Amino acid sequence: MEKKLSEMDFDEEGTVKEIEENLKKQVAGMGIREGKNVRMATKQPIKGPVVVEVDKSFTSLGLGIADKIVVEVE
Amino acid sequence: MKILLMGHPNVGKSVFFNRLTGAKVLESNYPGTTVDFMKGWMRLEGEDVELIDVPGAFSLEPKDRAEEVAVKMLAENKDSVIVCVLDASKIERGLYLALEIIEKGYPAVVALNMWDVAEDKNIRIDVEKLERILGVPVVPTTAISGEGFKELVSKIKEAAPVKIEKIIESAGGRESAAVS
Amino acid sequence: MPLSVDARWDLIDKISKQTVEFGARKHTLKDAIAELTVKPLTGIPVAIAVIYGFWSFFCDFAGTLFTDGFMVRLFDEHWLPWLQSVFPGGLKNPFYALMVDAGHIEGGVLVASDNCFEAFGVLTSGFFVVFGVVLWAVLAFYLMFAILEDAGYLPRLAVLVDTVLHKIGLHGYAIVPTFLSLGCNVPGVTATRPLETRKQRFMMMTLLAIFVPCGAQIGIMQDLVPEMMGWIFLTLAIGYLGFGFILNKIVPGKSPELIMDVPPYQMPTLRNIVRKLWIRTSRFLIVAVPFVLLGSIIVGLMYLTGAMDWLAAVLGPLLMGWFGVPSETVAPLIAGFLRKDLAVGILGGLMEQGIMTTFQVFTSVILLCIYFPCLATFALMLKEENGKEILGSLASLVAMVFVYGGLIHLVGIMLGVA
Repeated sequence: MEKKLSEMDFDEEGTVKEIEENLKKQVAGMGIREGKNVRMATKQPIKGPVVVEVDKSFTSLGLGIADKIVVEVE
Repeated sequence: MKILLMGHPNVGKSVFFNRLTGAKVLESNYPGTTVDFMKGWMRLEGEDVELIDVPGAFSLEPKDRAEEVAVKMLAENKDSVIVCVLDASKIERGLYLALEIIEKGYPAVVALNMWDVAEDKNIRIDVEKLERILGVPVVPTTAISGEGFKELVSKIKEAAPVKIEKIIESAGGRESAAVS
Repeated sequence: MPLSVDARWDLIDKISKQTVEFGARKHTLKDAIAELTVKPLTGIPVAIAVIYGFWSFFCDFAGTLFTDGFMVRLFDEHWLPWLQSVFPGGLKNPFYALMVDAGHIEGGVLVASDNCFEAFGVLTSGFFVVFGVVLWAVLAFYLMFAILEDAGYLPRLAVLVDTVLHKIGLHGYAIVPTFLSLGCNVPGVTATRPLETRKQRFMMMTLLAIFVPCGAQIGIMQDLVPEMMGWIFLTLAIGYLGFGFILNKIVPGKSPELIMDVPPYQMPTLRNIVRKLWIRTSRFLIVAVPFVLLGSIIVGLMYLTGAMDWLAAVLGPLLMGWFGVPSETVAPLIAGFLRKDLAVGILGGLMEQGIMTTFQVFTSVILLCIYFPCLATFALMLKEENGKEILGSLASLVAMVFVYGGLIHLVGIMLGVA
C-alpha cells in the first residue's frame, strides 16, 4: 500500500517510493532517497515534525516536507 | 597547495583538524558572514601546508549559510586537495558528498572516520576495493584514538582528480548509472 | 561532469553493494535512549529535567558557590575597604568618586558605600560585576552548554520545540541560538547561520537581541532579585513568542520547514570541552571587560558632570508616565547600551538605596533586557544584516519596547502593584 511519509504510524516501516523532484536534492545529503527502507522513529503532536530512520541515521523533517515523500508499506 | 577538510557535521572533523595541525591555529570569519572556520598548518614532506577546516556540509547543494560558505570555499580554492571525512558507519550518505566533490574535479582522499563505530555496528567495508573503484586513496581512521592518521597523511600526495565516468566504469558499467 | 541526484545514488548503490557488508543490526541501549529523548511523551519530561538541572547548576555553582560564597566577601570586605583606605582623595574628590566610591546621601549626608554594588566606581562596581559575578555565571553556563552540545542533545531539543517555533515562523533549530544567547548574545547571533532564509535569520536576531538576556545579565539578576527570576523569564518568554508571532506575519519571506540531521549521542571528550570553554570564556572577557570599564567611566562622568541629573529630569516624565519607573533608571539605561550586566549592577545600587518598589524593580529589569541589545551584539547585527534589515530591527525594537513596556505597566496598574 502506498501512503505519504507523513501518514506513517509510529514505528512503521516502509520503502521510499517517490520524492518530489525539487526536494530530492535537499534530502539527498541526509541519505534519504528512493528505494531506501525508512522507519518512522517519532511523530510530534500538533502537526510537529517527524523523525525518520534511514540507514541507521535519523533525520527530522517538517510535516510539510514529509507530505512530499511517498512510501510503500506492507 | 592547500588542503581542505570537508565532511558532514558531527563526523569528528574538528578532532581531525586538531590532530593534523600544529600549534599555530587561526580561527577566522568568512568575509561578510558570521560563519567561523579554522585554519592551521601541517607538515607534509618537509613543507608547511595550509589546512582549512571547512564548515560541515551534507551536500554541495547549500541549504543554509554554513553550507553556502563550504561551497564557496571549495570554489575559491581550485588548487586544493580535499580530505573528505566520512562517517564509516553511514558510508552511503558520506559517499554522496565525496562523489559530489570528486565530480567537480578535485583531487580527493577519503577518510573513513569513526571506523571503530562502524565495526561495533557490524558494518564491514572492503577498503581496497573501494579504493580501486573510486580511484582515490581511502583510509580508515579513528580520530579519537588517532588510528590511521599516519597513513592518511602519507596518501595526501597521491590524490589526483578522477573522472566520474571512470568510477562508473569501475563500479560495473554505465548502463544503469547514466550520466545525465 | 556532474551527475543527477538519481544517477549519483545509482552509482553509490553499485559501489556499496560491492564493498560494504551490513551485519545484523543490534538495538543497543544507546539507540533506545536516543529515541526516548526525542519522543514527545518521554522527551518533554527529559527536556524539562535537563533545563532544570542546567539552571540549578548555574545557580549553585556560579551564584552560591563562587559569587555569594567567595566573591561577595572578597570584594565587599577586603577589596572595597582596602581601596577606600589607600586610594588618594576622598568621597568628595571626583577622581576618587569615579574610580572607587561615589558614596550616597543618607540623612542629608554623603556617606561611604559598604558594598560594591553601591559604590559605582570603575575599580569597585566595574571589577565586581565582571570578576565577582559575571565571569562565574558565564563559565558555568558554557560548561553545561558544551556538554549538552558535544553529547548531541541539542538537535533533539530542537525537534521537540519545532512544533511551537514553527508556528511563529522559526525552526526548531532556533532553540540553539536562543539557548546559546542565554550565555552571551554575541555567539547567539553567530549561531543563527543554520537557519535557512533571511527572514528566519532576521527574526531570530531581532528576537534574540530583545528578549533573550545573556548569562552575564542573568548572573547579576540572580544575585540581586533571585525571587523574581521566574516572573522575569515568563515575561520574556511571552514577549519572545508573542512578538515572534507578529513578526512572522509582517516580515516578508519564507519559513521553510525543518530538515535536520539528528546525530547519535556521543561521549563528550574532556579535551574538546576544555577547548570550547576556553575559547568562549576568553572571547567573553575580551568583549566584556573593556565595555564594562568604559561603561562605568561614562556613567561615573555623567553623574559627576550633572549630565545624568539633566537626562533624568528630561526623560523622567516618559519613564514614570509610560513605563512607571523612577527617573533614576536613566543611569542603568545609559550603561545598558554598553553592557547589560553593568546596567543591572547599577540598578542594584539604586535598589540598595531603597528608592524603588518591587514592581518598579521588576519593570526596570525587563526594560533593561528589551530596550536595546548591548553594543557588541548590535555591532555584530550591523555586520550580519543589510541596511533595510537594520532599520527593520531598530523599528521593531522601538515598537516592542514601548508596547511591551507599557503593557507591563498597564498590567501592574490593573493588578494594583504598580
